[in-house]
Amino acid sequence: MAEEEEEPGYEEEPEEACGGVDSAHGRRKRLFSKELRCMMYGFGDDQNPYTESVDILEDLVIEFITEMTHKAMSIGRQGRVQVEDIVFLIRKDPRKFARVKDLLTMNEELKRARKAFDEANYGS
Amino acid sequence: MADPARMIKPEKSPEKKKTTSEEHPKSDHAPEDAQGVGKPSEESKESPSKEQHKTSVKPEPGAAAAVEDEDEGTSGQPSKKLKVEPVPDKKKEKRQKVDEDEIQKMQVLVSSFSEEQLNRYEMYRRSAFPKAAIKRLIQSITGSSVSQNVVIAMSGISKVFAGEIVEEALDVCEKWGDTPPLQPKHMREAVRRLKSREQIPNTKHKDIIFIDGNVQFICFVLPCFIMNIIR
Repeated sequence: MAEEEEEPGYEEEPEEACGGVDSAHGRRKRLFSKELRCMMYGFGDDQNPYTESVDILEDLVIEFITEMTHKAMSIGRQGRVQVEDIVFLIRKDPRKFARVKDLLTMNEELKRARKAFDEANYGS
Repeated sequence: MADPARMIKPEKSPEKKKTTSEEHPKSDHAPEDAQGVGKPSEESKESPSKEQHKTSVKPEPGAAAAVEDEDEGTSGQPSKKLKVEPVPDKKKEKRQKVDEDEIQKMQVLVSSFSEEQLNRYEMYRRSAFPKAAIKRLIQSITGSSVSQNVVIAMSGISKVFAGEIVEEALDVCEKWGDTPPLQPKHMREAVRRLKSREQIPNTKHKDIIFIDGNVQFICFVLPCFIMNIIR
């Protein structure tokens, strides 16, 4: 089914008056082509993944981000996206939840480390 | 997942424990020492896939020591610390041990990788979505600015999401007797499977699964009643 490609096309390009459905990927420029290729290789695909597969994955990721953003805007503080909202939405998925917790903890530690390092430098 | 390059948390506690060493039981030092031995070998092994944040980790242990010493100087009440610490200490110790075990296992594993596996592992760890593009995307949807943490969280989740799809697609590929590289049909089948497991959010199609009593009355009972009266 070519549904996967068409829906994001509609979703992403409301302002473009393209009559009917595009050749399906939306006319938005490819945002993550290079990074997604490396990512697919890292996750187990071939060293040179097919461009069509990369395109499908990019559409899926953009759709995912869009959905999460819309959901986050509708809970907690309306119209804004906050970290707590994202963590709440992800709570049922153990992998993503653990990953978000890890990332935020690491970020805090790094910020603390940099701050302490800068203070130490400033003192001397 | 535990990252062999991430030795920050356990690294801090030896500094802290040494400054209040008299009161605390000596057993605390044993796991930390094993870790001290582990770190130098980890440095050499991680060099093929050196990560950016590692360079900012290096100044940290020294800085942490400085910070901890300051704390001791100002508070000056080691006995008070003893009362607060004992139970959380045991849990922390257990968690650190589990963390260290995992870190050591990862080190052993990574050290036995072939060249191709090392390449793939490096790509796995290093690949990430560009923060600027993600921030632009989210801001174009919300219309207002978002904090840095949101961008960090969203890029992290998106990477996990991409990984889930690729893994499922590889499963499908193997099951169908094909070989990588992955083809669009594998990807679509993977998406279909994940959708049925509700791992892919979809708010576009909403079913009416529940009709409450009032709607039932208006839609079903009332027409029948009216038809009867007309007849």
